[in-house]
Amino acid sequence: MKEKIAVLMGGRSLEREVSLRSGQRVADALTDSGYRVLPLDVTSELVPTLRSERPDAAYIALHGKYGEDGTIQEVLEFLGIPYTGPGVVASALAWDKSVSKRLFSENSIPTPAWVTFTADAFKEMGAATALDLVPDAVGGFPLVVKPAEQGSALGLTRVTAAEELAEALLGALSFGPSAIVERWIDGIELAVSVLDLGDGPQVLPPVEMVAKSGLFDFSAMYTPGETDYYVPARLTPEVESEVRRLAMEVHTLLGCRHVSRVDMVVAADGTPYVLECNTSPGMTETSLLPMAADAVGIGFQELVEKLARMALDGLD
Amino acid sequence: MMGTARIVFDRWDGRYAQRMGDVRSSATRDLFAAASRSDIISFAGGMPEISRVPADAVASAAAEAIRDFGSEALQYGSSEGRPQLRGAIVELMAEIGVRARQEDIIVTAGAQQALDLLAKIFLDPGDVIITEGPTYLGALQAFSAYQPRVICVPMDEQGMDTDVLAAELAALGPRGAKFIYTIPNFQNPGGVTMSAGRRRKLLELAREYDIPVIEDDPYGRLRFDGGHMRPLRALDEDVIYLGTFSKIFAPGLRLGWVIAPRPILGKVLLAKQAADLCGSAYAQITAERYFAGTRWRRVLQDLTRVYGERRDAMLEALEEHFPAEAEWTVPEGGFFVWVRMPAFLDLKALLPEAIEHGVTYVAGDAFFPDGRTGRNCMRLAFCYATPDAIREGIRRLAEVVEDRLELYRAFQVAGALPDTMTAREVPA
Repeated sequence: MKEKIAVLMGGRSLEREVSLRSGQRVADALTDSGYRVLPLDVTSELVPTLRSERPDAAYIALHGKYGEDGTIQEVLEFLGIPYTGPGVVASALAWDKSVSKRLFSENSIPTPAWVTFTADAFKEMGAATALDLVPDAVGGFPLVVKPAEQGSALGLTRVTAAEELAEALLGALSFGPSAIVERWIDGIELAVSVLDLGDGPQVLPPVEMVAKSGLFDFSAMYTPGETDYYVPARLTPEVESEVRRLAMEVHTLLGCRHVSRVDMVVAADGTPYVLECNTSPGMTETSLLPMAADAVGIGFQELVEKLARMALDGLD
Repeated sequence: MMGTARIVFDRWDGRYAQRMGDVRSSATRDLFAAASRSDIISFAGGMPEISRVPADAVASAAAEAIRDFGSEALQYGSSEGRPQLRGAIVELMAEIGVRARQEDIIVTAGAQQALDLLAKIFLDPGDVIITEGPTYLGALQAFSAYQPRVICVPMDEQGMDTDVLAAELAALGPRGAKFIYTIPNFQNPGGVTMSAGRRRKLLELAREYDIPVIEDDPYGRLRFDGGHMRPLRALDEDVIYLGTFSKIFAPGLRLGWVIAPRPILGKVLLAKQAADLCGSAYAQITAERYFAGTRWRRVLQDLTRVYGERRDAMLEALEEHFPAEAEWTVPEGGFFVWVRMPAFLDLKALLPEAIEHGVTYVAGDAFFPDGRTGRNCMRLAFCYATPDAIREGIRRLAEVVEDRLELYRAFQVAGALPDTMTAREVPA
């Protein structure tokens, strides 16, 4: 009998349902590979259960707060349980877009112009009186407003006129303590996964998303048929090689290990911009990492098993 | 007990019929509904205050059912339901102005079964139905298995907006929808009651476009103030009426009824036979015995008084604690108050925080078929918590909401909000 692997999923984040779908597929794949699988929800019983069950490794299929922000990673390190995916610091850096975008721009990785607002800046400092400065600060309309700390595009609004900005900010701040306003780049939306299964990080073929609604939001992401995907993305060789280079640079810069998914948009002039980096990519039927892995002949079961082996074998 | 973090999967996932994919379930909602810390004050569930139903009266009714009617109570019964119980329903209906004969009635397993059976006999995938928006979550669930396209008509303080309904019907044309589903009294979740004028208008439109109307009336007899409103069925015998014993007696017996024109009733009967052959004769006899005396009337009066006090407690607490930006309906009966907050405020996103503060509610999106509309609204059930708990729960909820509104006000003070966001909207 092979090792015992805890698959962590669910939790109280707003991405609970997505995580349960990811988790179930991961657990099935590991079971099929012969592992003893312990599917666990994140409840107040999680730590006692991990202590009594003593799994050999944990597969993190959590998305959103606590799963992707370094919290669960810190807990697992404290308990001495090896886990899949990036560590505490990389998770925390990638989770907060206001931090990761700053790192990108300081390291010559193109990212759309942006400003960050915390709820406290509005409540305590009168920042709402300066909203008129925002469009110029990010290069004009249209722009996009989103929570700085949320995955899965929850609370994201595209804004085309000044009078929509306040409402969009209030909406984004319903999901977390800070929001970013970012220049909207019209172009090809890409997800570029980086995978390290023991031979060093490899960039997988970029996946292109075309949302039928025009906005790749939460519903487009998780409703089959609402988005068309192209693997590999329809890019010129020059642009594709630049996109791949940037994905690798982001992965390395943030200190990711095992896996990451870098979301980008390629502007009409061919310039790729990095939007964000996900450290716990979705593993559902419509998720992008499995799609990209499949394109290079790595099936879902193999992908999951090899990621689990990275944790079990203590490989960074 | 360790190990409650364990997840058990559905091994049969992927083998279910496509229609089950349309039946909405929200893992988030289930999770929060299951949040059962004893210090949480729940405004989430619409559970009747069953402790007010005298156990001794129910015990004797149930004992009589077995002792005096055992051979019937424990046997299969008729699919329509026992004539004696249907006789009692005829009398109950007469008291609210509806003339019906026993032959016009089928007893169902709660009104919920009637919703399922009606959807089954009327709906093919893609058919259009019209409901109030927001509407009863259980009806949306029952209908969704038959894969209709649901059009929601908004409400104001007079109930369903019949001007909007008229426009929708004009666009759909004659027989353009399979039915119109409405809860005219103390609507769930809206808490509003359809005015007499709107009732007449709704029936006129239904007749003009030749579309059946389903009138769901679970709360009609739980009126605290205002005058009795004639049911739609009293105004038009083509209306399909759904009644229930759940609120005037007890939901545990699972007894409801449907009154409909004969041909429709015939189809409901066929569907009912396929579903369960017949309802529980034991439960039906127990209800017959309970309603044979007059004590049930005092119990119902008492229940209505208790719910009325709780409604008052909730409205007073809302008035005292809730911020000026909030608006809510003032129900004249039933179980629910519907609260609307400024458009940006996402009450679904706020729910985890509310639970941390020891109070819970149902976010408004649960009552819309798209699962998106209504996120700035919430349904507060006042039926189950005591007045003291209601006051405390509203105080806690106000704290949570207030924190978010500080942000809203900061924008308002800065003059950063468009006029459309500061204008007061009509509730519900």
